[in-house]
Amino acid sequence: MSEPDFFTVRVSGVIGDRIAGAVLLALAVFAWWYSYTFTTGFMQPVGPGEFPRLVSVPLGAFSLYLILRPGLNQRWPHRAALLRQAGALLLLGVYAAFLEPWGFLPASLIALILLIRLFGADWKPSLVCGVILTLGLYLLFEFALGMPLPDMPGLNW
Amino acid sequence: MDILAYLAQGFVVATEPQHLMLALIGCALGTLIGALPGLGPVNGVALMIPLTFNFSLSPTAALILLVSIYYGCMYGGRISSILLNIPGDEPAMMTTLDGYPMALKGRGGEALGLSGVASFVGATVATIGLTLFAPLLVGFAIRFGPAEYFALFMLAFATIGGVTSGSLSKSFVAACLGLLLGTVGIDAVSSVPRFTFGWFEIYDGIDFIVALVGLFAISECLVFLEDIRHSNKPTMKLGSAIPGMRTAWRCVPTITRSSFVGFIAGVLPGAGAALGSFLSYTLEKRWLGRRGDFGNGDPRGVAAPEAGNNAAAGGALIPMLSLGIPGSGTTAILLALLLSMNITPGPLLFQQQPEMVWGLVAALFIGNLMLLVLNIPLVGLFARVLRAPGWFLMPMVVMVAFVGVYSLSNSAFDLYMMLGFGVLGYVLRKLEIPTVPVVLGLLLGGQMEYNLRRAMAISGGDWDILWNSGISVGIYAFAITLISAGLVYGWLVRQRRINAG
Repeated sequence: MSEPDFFTVRVSGVIGDRIAGAVLLALAVFAWWYSYTFTTGFMQPVGPGEFPRLVSVPLGAFSLYLILRPGLNQRWPHRAALLRQAGALLLLGVYAAFLEPWGFLPASLIALILLIRLFGADWKPSLVCGVILTLGLYLLFEFALGMPLPDMPGLNW
Repeated sequence: MDILAYLAQGFVVATEPQHLMLALIGCALGTLIGALPGLGPVNGVALMIPLTFNFSLSPTAALILLVSIYYGCMYGGRISSILLNIPGDEPAMMTTLDGYPMALKGRGGEALGLSGVASFVGATVATIGLTLFAPLLVGFAIRFGPAEYFALFMLAFATIGGVTSGSLSKSFVAACLGLLLGTVGIDAVSSVPRFTFGWFEIYDGIDFIVALVGLFAISECLVFLEDIRHSNKPTMKLGSAIPGMRTAWRCVPTITRSSFVGFIAGVLPGAGAALGSFLSYTLEKRWLGRRGDFGNGDPRGVAAPEAGNNAAAGGALIPMLSLGIPGSGTTAILLALLLSMNITPGPLLFQQQPEMVWGLVAALFIGNLMLLVLNIPLVGLFARVLRAPGWFLMPMVVMVAFVGVYSLSNSAFDLYMMLGFGVLGYVLRKLEIPTVPVVLGLLLGGQMEYNLRRAMAISGGDWDILWNSGISVGIYAFAITLISAGLVYGWLVRQRRINAG
């Protein structure tokens, strides 16, 4: 397989669809049960819990259908891909946490270099493009678009 | 003649320097976004929404910008279809069938020129249709009460996704999930917090812009991370785009037929551009029979889906503007923009803010012309974007998403929420559960519940009010018809897949 085409690779969804169906069914049952706690002091023809209940019925029914008649899934990622995705999410989560205390420039610089590396570039282009992208985006957001970005601590930029 | 007067007024609005500038930026940006493989109009427009808030643009200006991006994306989507055989999004899928073979024969430039002209004609036909039919629909919809609106929402959910994707049950699951997510937050009527579990950040409900960017942009990056060893893209000899205009002249009958087919497909709620391009391609193939050489690089096989999907894109704006019911994923996002600016599309919009509606329509005419002018000579420039490596583009997309969402409320919580929706969107895509109905549910759930409760308040708790008027019964009947059509469409797609091997 020279050019893996993940747009079209489909696999049987017996396991995936059943797990998803079970999760969604549980969600529907929970929403139905939990919506009874939404109480108001005064009487209305349709209370706050009615609409969630009304939605949870078809949600449950279609989830059940998903469990009974699973369809197709796209090919699930392999181990290496999963690790990359988990890494990217972790990186972005940490970036979100450090964006405010560190300011846009240093946090984004580190996050972007690692992110470009994660997306498959070598170290050298990662470093170069990371610096260029950070500066370019900073200039674009801060000056051209006038968006407020978190400043670096102690510095007014 | 009223329409002409309104339209003239619209042109006055649209030709204000700021609006012209925004239309130009939107067209160029949209073409670029559409040209990037994997970043279709839905992703592109979703990514741009948080940014437009920061320009502090007027609603009219923001709408002009985003709709120009939308139209531009529809133009740009064809570039990667023709040159790389990778559709930027679902509507561009049919263009690969004859566009790529044309490019292989060294007629890539011609195919791009031809598709540019076909797109222009399709979009113009649709915009004229929008001018003529939207006011008619408005005149009809003005009599709708809450029960009729509730029926209309049911129609939107019954049809969206179900018509375009294969599995009807999965798109219903997605719609219900979206509706349930839409109930999170403080209930507007009784002030009771629902499903908030004490998190004050979601008392205002789940911000659908955050959800949108996560579901589309972030999940796209996760898909991309699956396989980073993207092989070097073949550099195709382009050739000039100018002969495409002569070819287009010979395709005039095809383009005309496809524009009308696409327009009708676009107007149907839930059908959208994918159905437009699919229908116009297959119908044209049937129509020409053995006179055509479809699948082997017949220029008419490029012209038909391109005219069709651009016409459908314009047609989809009709239900969005006049009823507040989006006809496709991208119009759902445009609706999100309007709602978050406290503008409720619908019949009243035409009465209360005619300058905005007609300014937008006029801007569409102007934007179309700009796109044609931009696309014929500059197509080589746009095609060069395709060579930018993914490891450069995708981190940029992530950064734009981060800064855009962060700037909405300056809180890291929104960023985590966006990442969460990114994972949700990714898992849903793997399960082949469409994400557009989720967004639509999140977006329209509040309105739907509000109309239900108002109807019930009018009737004093009698559920019969929901199907007591002729209009609602008609809408429900229409919904059932469209679902049946969706089942037939799904069957046709499966047949085509089997035939294609």
